Amino acid sequence: MNSPSEKLAAIIAERLVRERLLSRQEARKIFAKLAEGKLRPEDWRALVELSASPKRP
Amino acid sequence: MSALKQLTIQGFRGAVKPFSLRFDPGHRVTVVYGENASGKSTICDALEFLGRGKVGSLDNRGLGQTTRYWPAIGHTLTDVSISLETTDGSCTATITRNGEVLVLPPEDQPRVEVFRRSEILSLIEAKPAERYAAISRFIDVSGIEASEAALRELVRDLAKQRDGAAARLSENKLTIQQFWETEGSPAPDAFTWAEAECKQSNDGSSASEKEISAIRALQTAFTRLLDLPARLRSAQQSLTVAKTAADTASAAVQDQLQNVATDAGEAVGVLEAASAYLSKHPATEVCPVCESSEKSCDLANRIRERLNAFSSLKSAQSQATASAQAVQRAEQQLQLIRENARQDVAKFEASRGDSNLPAGLPMPDSAIPNSASGLSSWLSSTSSLATEWKRAETARHDKRQFVNTLRLALETWKVNQAALDDLQQLLPRLERALKIVEEERRRFTDDILAEIAGEVSRLYDLVHPGEGLNKIRLELDPKKRASLEIGADFCGQPARPQGYFSESHLDTLGLCVFLALSALEQPDQTIVVLDDILSSVDDDHSQRIFKMLQSEAARFRHCIITTHSRTWNVGINSQYQFVELGRWSPETGLQYR
Repeated sequence: MNSPSEKLAAIIAERLVRERLLSRQEARKIFAKLAEGKLRPEDWRALVELSASPKRP
Repeated sequence: MSALKQLTIQGFRGAVKPFSLRFDPGHRVTVVYGENASGKSTICDALEFLGRGKVGSLDNRGLGQTTRYWPAIGHTLTDVSISLETTDGSCTATITRNGEVLVLPPEDQPRVEVFRRSEILSLIEAKPAERYAAISRFIDVSGIEASEAALRELVRDLAKQRDGAAARLSENKLTIQQFWETEGSPAPDAFTWAEAECKQSNDGSSASEKEISAIRALQTAFTRLLDLPARLRSAQQSLTVAKTAADTASAAVQDQLQNVATDAGEAVGVLEAASAYLSKHPATEVCPVCESSEKSCDLANRIRERLNAFSSLKSAQSQATASAQAVQRAEQQLQLIRENARQDVAKFEASRGDSNLPAGLPMPDSAIPNSASGLSSWLSSTSSLATEWKRAETARHDKRQFVNTLRLALETWKVNQAALDDLQQLLPRLERALKIVEEERRRFTDDILAEIAGEVSRLYDLVHPGEGLNKIRLELDPKKRASLEIGADFCGQPARPQGYFSESHLDTLGLCVFLALSALEQPDQTIVVLDDILSSVDDDHSQRIFKMLQSEAARFRHCIITTHSRTWNVGINSQYQFVELGRWSPETGLQYR
């Protein structure tokens, strides 16, 4: 059974991907850290920067 | 999910003797009736022990560690055994020697939710934080909140950085504009001019360095010329003085020679040679010049006496020799200075002909004269040029410094502009991400709370139809973390139920909240146990509560209700299994009536 944080992390990740703020690949990578509260400010920055780069798949 | 067949209790709480509660396979609701102290709660405790490994009825009684109260009278912890037999198998809970509850097989441990009379108001009357704790497992998103806080911190920091970059950019712009205005505000604008200046300076950097170097060499060469006249004059004077001294010394020697004899000079030479010979051959008996033995006795002493007579002449001769040497040295020094002067002049002429010198730099009108006096006049007439050359060099240094400072300001502006551009591109994305996280978190918890509240309202309306008390709300306090408020409508106005509802209404509200929460997670696998609840409810409401439970029980694996009220056995007993317990005694324990 998923915890509430895990359920919500899935919803948030999907929305961020839908709004092109995260690539699906990055969203998959951060899912666990997002739910566990382990995403640090620098992680967020790197994720959004990386997803905004032209190399995004 | 498998149906319950039999619950067997041994050595636990009131079960001084083994007791088995047999479940009717045709019903999912079992009502256990018994007067006070008949052992109803032992059945509830046994199910909680099996499903949750604890006995909640002993909590909050000031007993401290309650484990020692778990065994029945005359039994020990290891005598305790609770077994639940189902259509699929059985599961047994025991206590090990070190007091741990052991459930075998663990995968068959049933989900059990127990609600007691003593807890009925806890969900309603509890403090908001305690109420939150009761439902936190459904809405606790503290992990997301921590990640969200990190994102919020990043957005805040980057916003500060953006504001700082914008301020610095403004300062950079002002600096460049000031430079531009200093230069007369050339068209078209400050930044185009600054870019052009820096580019031009880059392209001409090497030429400017060469100009500065050539001007500096010219100044150095000119400086070396400045003391040439004095040095030449000094050397010339030294030579004149030396020659005068030499002439005087030579005249003195002539005077001395005339005083002693015409051939005194040669005689002194002969005497000095004889004296040197006799000092080497002191025993000689003849004159070393004429080989005569006459007067040879004491010859050395007599030669020294004669030589002494010539001392003035000797002194004059020494002085003459020294003076002649001084003249020679003065002539050499003058020669050296003249040679150096020729080289310095050549260097200056070479410097003034350097093609790297800037056009328009003022130069002497004539070549350097060959004489010392001419040089002095020439230097006097060109002395102002040195100041011009120094000014030209300083102007080029200042220009270089100006362009360096301008270039630095321009580069700093570009760096800050790039940083600001990056931030202005990144920040809106992060702000959007933060907004999404906040929105989804609120929606997620609001949806769950609304679902719970809707379910509570629905259940409550089944018990209190038409009373207008069914608009139950669960609200997280936005100002406090983990704080849950419960609200309802009373006479059409929003109100806290604790302040307006009767005790029986609060009891049923507590029951509805409990059932709504129990139904949130795997209800079809959950055994719901209601231990002697709703004693405050009147008969009409009891019937409606029972109808509500009857209908809701279909969602759960099984529903067990204990009561000491006969009302539960009136009229509709065919819809549930009714079990009546007899009086409990220390000898018999729990028993059917």
